[in-house]
Amino acid sequence: MTLVLVTVAGALGAALRFVMEYLVRRHHPTRRPWATVAANVLGALIAGWIVYRLSASSDAHIHAILLTGFCGGLTTFSSAFAVPALLQREHHWGYAAAIVVATPVLSGLAFALGMSITLH
Amino acid sequence: MPANLTLPPKRFALALGAVLAGGGVGTVIRDLALKLQHVPTGSTDWTTQVPWVLLVINVLGVYVATWLLRTALRAHDPNDPWRLLLITGLLGGFTSYSSLVVAWAAIWHLSVPIALGVAVGSLASGVLAAWLGLRHHP
Repeated sequence: MTLVLVTVAGALGAALRFVMEYLVRRHHPTRRPWATVAANVLGALIAGWIVYRLSASSDAHIHAILLTGFCGGLTTFSSAFAVPALLQREHHWGYAAAIVVATPVLSGLAFALGMSITLH
Repeated sequence: MPANLTLPPKRFALALGAVLAGGGVGTVIRDLALKLQHVPTGSTDWTTQVPWVLLVINVLGVYVATWLLRTALRAHDPNDPWRLLLITGLLGGFTSYSSLVVAWAAIWHLSVPIALGVAVGSLASGVLAAWLGLRHHP
């Protein structure tokens, strides 16, 4: 049952990332993938909150569904490097490097921010 | 430049369906593969916290995505259903940045320099996989 819910959560996470990318490129017709960076940063923020704020109050199943499923589906490592690789091929070296560097830095900061968010 | 950036409702539904299907399948494969490595919580040994299986998953995902975007999916239409199914959905769901950051944080609590080293190594593996994906095409 957990496996099914992890799958569904992963599908929903990926769908949210797609909607973010779709909305951004519809209004800003460029191939520079800042919505993908934003999806990764958002996923890291939620992951920080789950790992450090939700752990005491939930079981391993909910953890797996939200962390492995939703956050895992929302974030992507493949596009975080494949798309900059193509940008680099089109001589957009600066954008490619900025994406590769900004994603881990911003994700790390977002993760730390997520750790400190308390919901009541 | 891509032709149709705004999709009519039916094509948007198809696009969303492709991402949902690919994302679900990618996520479940990653979830099953991650069970191959037991990562103990509360361990003081950083080597047990290095997410080897996730690193392999991520490197594979980058390589295949780069290769596909250079070959079969080289037409730069971001709304192409195959690209949404395979790149945005399947490989996006298969790979994970959030779980990688979780692992970096776990190692950070044990040693900041080692965590930074693992993070730089993870990024280098992604760059290397993308480079190989660009090179290895017919």
